[in-house]
Amino acid sequence: MLEVFTVTIAVLAVVVAVTAGAIIAVRVVRQIRQRRYAALAAGPRRALLSFVAGNGEEGSADLIAIPQDAWRAAEPGALALLGKLRGEAHQALVSVFLHRGIARKALGDLHSRSRVRRARAAQVLGDLELREAVPELCRLLTDRHLEVRVVAVRALGRIGDPAAAWRLIAGLDQNESIPSLLATHTLVQLGPEAEVTLSAALDHPQARVRAVCLDALGLLRATGSVQRMARILREDDVLDVRVAAATNLGRLGTRSAVEPLTGALTPARPTALRSAAAKALGDLGAPAAVPALSALLDDEHYWVAHHAAHALRRLGLGGLAALRAVLDEGTAEAGAHARPSNASGHAREALALAEIETQPVPVPL
Amino acid sequence: MTDFIRELLRVTDWAIFAYFVALNSSYLGLIVLAGLEFGRHLRRAAFAGADDMFRSPLTLPVSVIVPAFNEGAGIVAAVQAMTALRYPRYEVVVVDDGSTDDTFELLRNQFDLVEVPRVVPGEVPYRSQVLSVHVARANPQTLTVVRKTNGGKSDALNVGINLARHPLVCMVDADSVLDPDALLSVAKPFGDDPLRVAACGGVVRIANGCKVIGGRVVDVRMPRQWLVRVQVVEYLRAFLMGRTGWSRLGGLVVISGAFGIFRRDLVVEIGGMSHDTIGEDAELVVRLHHHLRERDQDYRVIFVAEPVSWSEAPSSLRVLGRQRRRWHRGIAEILGKHRRMIGNPRYGRIGLVALPYYVVFELLAPFVELSALVLLPLGLWVDAVDLAFAWRFALVAYGYGLLISLLSLFIEEVSFHRYPRWSDLLRGVLAAIIENFGYRQVLAVWQVSGAVHAWRGGQAVWGAMHRKGFDSEPSDRVKETVGA
Repeated sequence: MLEVFTVTIAVLAVVVAVTAGAIIAVRVVRQIRQRRYAALAAGPRRALLSFVAGNGEEGSADLIAIPQDAWRAAEPGALALLGKLRGEAHQALVSVFLHRGIARKALGDLHSRSRVRRARAAQVLGDLELREAVPELCRLLTDRHLEVRVVAVRALGRIGDPAAAWRLIAGLDQNESIPSLLATHTLVQLGPEAEVTLSAALDHPQARVRAVCLDALGLLRATGSVQRMARILREDDVLDVRVAAATNLGRLGTRSAVEPLTGALTPARPTALRSAAAKALGDLGAPAAVPALSALLDDEHYWVAHHAAHALRRLGLGGLAALRAVLDEGTAEAGAHARPSNASGHAREALALAEIETQPVPVPL
Repeated sequence: MTDFIRELLRVTDWAIFAYFVALNSSYLGLIVLAGLEFGRHLRRAAFAGADDMFRSPLTLPVSVIVPAFNEGAGIVAAVQAMTALRYPRYEVVVVDDGSTDDTFELLRNQFDLVEVPRVVPGEVPYRSQVLSVHVARANPQTLTVVRKTNGGKSDALNVGINLARHPLVCMVDADSVLDPDALLSVAKPFGDDPLRVAACGGVVRIANGCKVIGGRVVDVRMPRQWLVRVQVVEYLRAFLMGRTGWSRLGGLVVISGAFGIFRRDLVVEIGGMSHDTIGEDAELVVRLHHHLRERDQDYRVIFVAEPVSWSEAPSSLRVLGRQRRRWHRGIAEILGKHRRMIGNPRYGRIGLVALPYYVVFELLAPFVELSALVLLPLGLWVDAVDLAFAWRFALVAYGYGLLISLLSLFIEEVSFHRYPRWSDLLRGVLAAIIENFGYRQVLAVWQVSGAVHAWRGGQAVWGAMHRKGFDSEPSDRVKETVGA
């Protein structure tokens, strides 16, 4: 038995020594590689910065002529730069990438067996905002791997082709589908031209699809969809979808959203919906909502009363007057930090915040 | 009779040896899993979409809750850093838990706080009294400071949860310094998988020795004291590697109170932080598992390895002892409180793998370590084992432990390599060796004491923590914190 121990100790000693050596080797190799990459990337980086500073008018030939190994070292920086540029400088840099065959390679990599390569390729095509890649990226929306689908969705958002809208919506109706927030953001990036598709999808049988489309319509300020959104607010079977409808009616900023939202404040409605509707009326900025919101200040549910008070604060003079009236009436006697919600407490809180917001911030001398 | 005792000691020594091998093998398994996870993470960094998350108007807003008790030494730098994080929409809620030092005054002066009469909802229970609520005049939606009577960390967190306005709550220690992208990284899983992610833990590293300017770690260095250097290696092995490994296995049960983020609705649903457990952070996670498993809900509790929260580690034996007693007491209390989950198939991997592992390899490990320290010499004395066996036993057991620590350093070097100096690398390797001579044994004594205290039902006391604060500018401020 002792021999087994002895052998084990010997093996351990070797593995410990190898591990310690490996730590040193990893650092040495990394430092050498970093130095080499830094040296290789220095020239291209200067050329890139001068190209961008000149709005891409001069220097593209120099960038295209950079040897492949030097370009490879500079490419991550160039891609990062691409994401920060807009307008002519962006277009000019994209054309450099196209001349260097990066887009062609990325389109090829979309068919790679490696999911990491497929995802990287989709990311590059999105950075390049290459419209020609939209059909291929839409194909990736049914990729076996979620992470690839997620990158494809982001890339489609950056390209911003509204033709991708219905494919994105279809992609939501899958097992292990793309995250709702990402899908919404991407649909918004497609712009107002996607509104018709989004509005039509409000009748989709999947609750999540309806909720995503409502969010996208709200962020696009699609005032043409107000009636359809109001119908969902009244009639949808799923509470989360109705809450999304309330929130997004508030984002539309149109007077026609006031009536459906005030209708959602009635005590018979679920608390989450009433709370969302109260908040949305504040977002809407419609003074006509003041009476309905004032009535909620004494609501037994904290968040309903809280959002009503802060919505009144945001409604300007009319809302603030209503809050002051509640305080003056002294409808409640409880102190400032009383645990149960009460009208005067919420009114006092909202007024205090309003006062701070209207005060000029002292500038340190 | 003597023969029987000898045989018993011989068998026990072998059993202890087998235990050490199993323990270190389990660490090895977790480290391998962590290595795979880091590789996966790094290969995907180019298309992870952190910038898209930062730009998206739909990124879930976060309430960062910072309980503070006598944190005057570092509170301003910490809050400055927290209010300057790279995240699209968030608020910081500092809960001053009845500090007796100038914590609140410092905040008031620095951020020009003004009192607002907030209504505090009672969605999660709190025992203390809220004295006043303040907001920063220049940015009332971003910084809130609550003053309350002392009620302990859990109570302060519950007040913060009540006042949190956003759907995600991130709990951060007041002595923590967050990397600029920390919130973005730790909240990202909620954006990637919003229907399933219930909680996410971030890695905590040791800030001692690092250069901190304006609430930012600008230069990562090894601490000056060996006691803290050993803890750096320990944090790498146990927190960074161990928790990443558990996360990959789907069995993460500990999210550090120094840096963890949760869905607010779920925290409210389960009643917030427990008042009767000293390890309230881990207890919350176990209770979350309990609740979601009972509801048969598909959910995930995950861990992200980078970026990080930097915390000050104890630099004296006295404070370290208190901390480790408290941690082990926490483990004992949580396992006792949720004992019905242990080995229960209803709780899936948590009940069948993670919690039994915590019983065998976390709770009992210091008992076995101390037993070995007693029984091996005893076995030698009564001739139950011979010297040749004894030294080989010790060498294999501690050698395997050393290998685990070195592998952690290796993976850190391959993946994140946060310590750029060669001298720090060497110190890390030496600390991995030194850890086995005295540190582990003393730790075991403290841990046993903590567990015994829990089983006896002694009163939960946080104990004193001397802190010096972070900012590298010269400061004589040294303070003592005594939580309830």
